[in-house]
Amino acid sequence: MATHAETLEHYHPPGLQHQFEDMKQQEESVSIGMWMFLVQEIMFFGGLFTVYLVFRSKFPMAFAAGSNHLDAFWGGLNTLVLIVSSLTMALTVFYAQKSNRNMQVILIMLTMFFGAVFLGVKTIEYTDKYEHGLVPVTGWNKKVKEDPTHAAAGGEHAKPCWEHDETHTYVNPRGEFQFADCSMAKQAFDEQQQKPNETHLTAAERVGYFSNGQIDAEKFRDKVRIFYWIYFVMTGLHALHMVVGLGLMTWLLWKAWSRTFSHDYFAPVEMSGLYWHFVDIVWIFLFPLLYLLGRHFMH
Amino acid sequence: MSDKHIESGEGHIGIPGYIGVFTVLVVGTILTYFVATVDLDFIFPGANTLVALAIAFTKMTCVMLFFMHVYWSPKLIWLSAIASFFWMAIMFAYTMQDYLTRGTGVFGG
Repeated sequence: MATHAETLEHYHPPGLQHQFEDMKQQEESVSIGMWMFLVQEIMFFGGLFTVYLVFRSKFPMAFAAGSNHLDAFWGGLNTLVLIVSSLTMALTVFYAQKSNRNMQVILIMLTMFFGAVFLGVKTIEYTDKYEHGLVPVTGWNKKVKEDPTHAAAGGEHAKPCWEHDETHTYVNPRGEFQFADCSMAKQAFDEQQQKPNETHLTAAERVGYFSNGQIDAEKFRDKVRIFYWIYFVMTGLHALHMVVGLGLMTWLLWKAWSRTFSHDYFAPVEMSGLYWHFVDIVWIFLFPLLYLLGRHFMH
Repeated sequence: MSDKHIESGEGHIGIPGYIGVFTVLVVGTILTYFVATVDLDFIFPGANTLVALAIAFTKMTCVMLFFMHVYWSPKLIWLSAIASFFWMAIMFAYTMQDYLTRGTGVFGG
């Protein structure tokens, strides 16, 4: 993009790098490079989706129980927010191709706004998990010491775990992962008892939720904990991609502001757009797989 | 596919087209949510997940073809996009044929 002493004989478009014959070749090379990057990103997330597949196929009821404690409203809202940001990103590329600088600037700022809203909602959700003891790392949850007067009254461990209600007071002196509700295991167990010929509990669940033929609340909790590990790693990696995307958008905003992109040269806008849409696609899968998988069990 | 390859900036679906794809994505998201609240296990166990994934794949296809311009891209781009899902399918299939065929017991099931 250096300024050239351009004569008619030596004219070439301002965005053309010297190693390419023409703009078309440059664009196709840049695209294929970006797509190679996206393919390895798909494999990157693909490994995590494989982990999800393996553990969900082993412990479907624990996954459903964990999923039902996520807030599908926030997840759904975030899906819509990302779709809107994808639209504004696609329109940014459209206006870059039209050499419309003001629309580019406006649309990049809108894309960044919706990206920031997404991360804000994610923060609300993570905070909620922290306050309810659903972060799978011991010590990373809110620490609340037990009220001595309450402890003297005998606590609330008298009821079986499948009759657990959500009104109990939060007590978590060491910030451990907590999940006291095993009603999903009970539900599958009862159905299995009534219909022994059908499969309501997987082989792994028959070993993994019970001790001496009784539902073991702690064993069940540990399987739900696997779900929350997967939830935090997958959404965390996705959020990291959003942060990187916001960085890209900042750079793009500066470039668009200084009138870098035009009908002749808009590859950086197009490539950043590919990245942004990819991150949107990952969320399109994360939303139903993490937030909605157990909804149909709620009666 | 590549014969539809066009000069830069021309031939993309334009603003009405982008709004149209956007509408499909929003409808898909709302549909995903409401289908998930209906118990489809009477069809076969796991039908809910299959429906959710079918909608997600439709949404992804719309994003890739129109927002990511794969529809107007050279065949090499089509190949890269499809190949990545092919590799992922291999990873899923070979992993699951192992896990699903292990015996029961301490290490299996």
